[in-house]
Amino acid sequence: MDIKPFTAEPIRVLAYDGTPVENVDRLGIGKDDWLKMYRWLVFARAVDDRGYILVRQGRAGFYAQIAGQEASQVGSALPLHKEDWMYPDHRSQGSMLVKGLSAAEWFGHVLGKMLDPTQGRLMPHGPGRNDLHIVPPSSTVGNKITEAVGTAMAQRIKKRKEVTITYLGDGATSEGDFHVGMNFAAVYQAPVIIFVQNNQYAISMRTEQQTHTKTIAEKAKAYGMDGYLVDGNDILAVYLVTKHCADKARAGGGPSLIEAYTYRYGPHSSADDDTRYRPKGELEMWRTQRDPVTRMRKFLETKGLWSEDQEQKLQADVKAQVAKAMEEAEKSPAPEPITVLDYAYEQLTPHLEWERRELAAELGV
Amino acid sequence: MATVQATKQTQLTMVQALQSALVEEMERDEDVVILGEDIGPRGGVFLITEGLIDKFGADRVIDTPLAEAGIIGAAVGMAMYGLKPIAEIQFIDFIFPGFDLLVSEAAKIRYRSAGQFGVPMVIRSPYGGGVRGGSYHSQSPESYFVATPGLKVVVPSNPYDAKGLLIASVRDPDPVVFMEPKKIYRAIKSDVPAGTYEVPLGKAALTREGKHVSIITYGAMVHVALEAADAMAKEGVEVEVLDLRTLQPYDTDAIMHTIAKTGHVVLLQEAPRIGGYTGEIAAFIAENGVEYLEGPIVRVAGWDTAFPYALEKAYMPNAQRVIRGIKKTLNF
Repeated sequence: MDIKPFTAEPIRVLAYDGTPVENVDRLGIGKDDWLKMYRWLVFARAVDDRGYILVRQGRAGFYAQIAGQEASQVGSALPLHKEDWMYPDHRSQGSMLVKGLSAAEWFGHVLGKMLDPTQGRLMPHGPGRNDLHIVPPSSTVGNKITEAVGTAMAQRIKKRKEVTITYLGDGATSEGDFHVGMNFAAVYQAPVIIFVQNNQYAISMRTEQQTHTKTIAEKAKAYGMDGYLVDGNDILAVYLVTKHCADKARAGGGPSLIEAYTYRYGPHSSADDDTRYRPKGELEMWRTQRDPVTRMRKFLETKGLWSEDQEQKLQADVKAQVAKAMEEAEKSPAPEPITVLDYAYEQLTPHLEWERRELAAELGV
Repeated sequence: MATVQATKQTQLTMVQALQSALVEEMERDEDVVILGEDIGPRGGVFLITEGLIDKFGADRVIDTPLAEAGIIGAAVGMAMYGLKPIAEIQFIDFIFPGFDLLVSEAAKIRYRSAGQFGVPMVIRSPYGGGVRGGSYHSQSPESYFVATPGLKVVVPSNPYDAKGLLIASVRDPDPVVFMEPKKIYRAIKSDVPAGTYEVPLGKAALTREGKHVSIITYGAMVHVALEAADAMAKEGVEVEVLDLRTLQPYDTDAIMHTIAKTGHVVLLQEAPRIGGYTGEIAAFIAENGVEYLEGPIVRVAGWDTAFPYALEKAYMPNAQRVIRGIKKTLNF
């Protein structure tokens, strides 16, 4: 498949109904990969659905769902190697799970338990894991691009065949740091993929209120970089485009921008009311006609690779895995209050040692 | 308490001392890289990185596009990956476009990853007035950084300390904002050893001993304090001068020691008074050492305005303003 930048229409392998529009036997990925992708989609959705329930139960303070964006998240993370670096944004749990974060850790994070890799320090929009090369996300969206470029510059300086991927949304492309990061990435030909999930809303602001360009992908041209517009609900297309960019970066071909055109089903976060700004019928249209999980399932069915029995078994397996992960997270202890001062610096400063004594007195420990 | 004790070697300016620290650290550790605007063939606008690109190559002496957020952000990403970046911000007045990367990212990534990621980087930047630079080349914004947990803030006052503190900052596991008093970049020389040495972070220096009143200050203002001390000596007043050297974390023992000794304190900073750094020192003394005080804690500072151009002499604290402060606390 010839993957070209700056297409007018999103790059697509599967039509909305799952019918291939490309010769899928010549994509360099086969049956086992397709099945693996579908399992990841189902798993990511199940984990996310379960996580969101914690907010509705009053057991978590915040949640940003990935529902609707699973193909963008899973499809862009699967081509990465273990040593590659990932800079997630605040709605990236699907990508983090693929990179190696466990569902139990994700739930531990949402619940603020010791199992949370941040030990209760970061609001539940994603922990980091140093050993997996997952960097903790930021809420001042867009600023992570410059850091990701720095990591990619370091990868190049150290002559390692690695890449860095950084995730952001359509809204973050309005930030000054988007421009700075794009420019740095291109100037240094850093091995970085700037992956924009255009889910069409930055809280309530639609993409056309955010930017005057027709696509986000075309912005890459101004930096001397290739920009790819891909159907973000088509996991095969997302995988192939991301792999194309990763291979190019690994071979010294520099950075790429990918715009994955997708749709978020949930509100911006558990604190948002999306009924105030979504046109009637839009959400239902995307759910019923363009769902990324259903599309892949239909594809597998047309290839004769998936049956109702297999579906039921997968759903049952995933349900059990999620329940087990949740149980593990619930068993994990809460962080001790006395640890609140730890990790501000590598070692407590004299002032923090004094504060620790104050806190210990306050806590009676 | 650490004092300045250069044992041997060459008389160097602060510019030369800083360059010698950079060269020695880059020779010691190949993961040390420097990045910033015009630091390559131009050598930096103050020539601190002069010749380094020839010595270490463009992979380790990285000239950057004109974007402070990019410089600081890239340094954060490099530091998390395992390099030891030293970023130069051409004037600290230009740091604000990169402020978010500094205060939201560099400062807090260790905390919000529960110690999994460290950001061992140094941001070097010239600060301060007296160079006819107007408000975009003269400010002293240290209080923003000191108010951000996760950052360390270092301000040398002489060439010997500049070298030792910079080496210690490069080796520190946490991000350090290293503010260089540009007014005295070339104005004074001191003995600086050729070899590597560290001046530990968090330790003040007793620059001048005295028994009647203590001036606690840092950076270029140390020299204003010394000028005031010379003048007061003629009136029989012995002024002690404590150079904090590191503002965060600061040397509480040295502060307690000097106020216990003199009972009078003048806090001197170049920055505007309200919300300024020495307000923290005043509060610390008031909370912990009020029993030693025989007069009010007096702050001498820049005025609470923007930094002016032609009016900078009227703006900046000078020896006369410090002497008025000393008399205010002594004559209480």
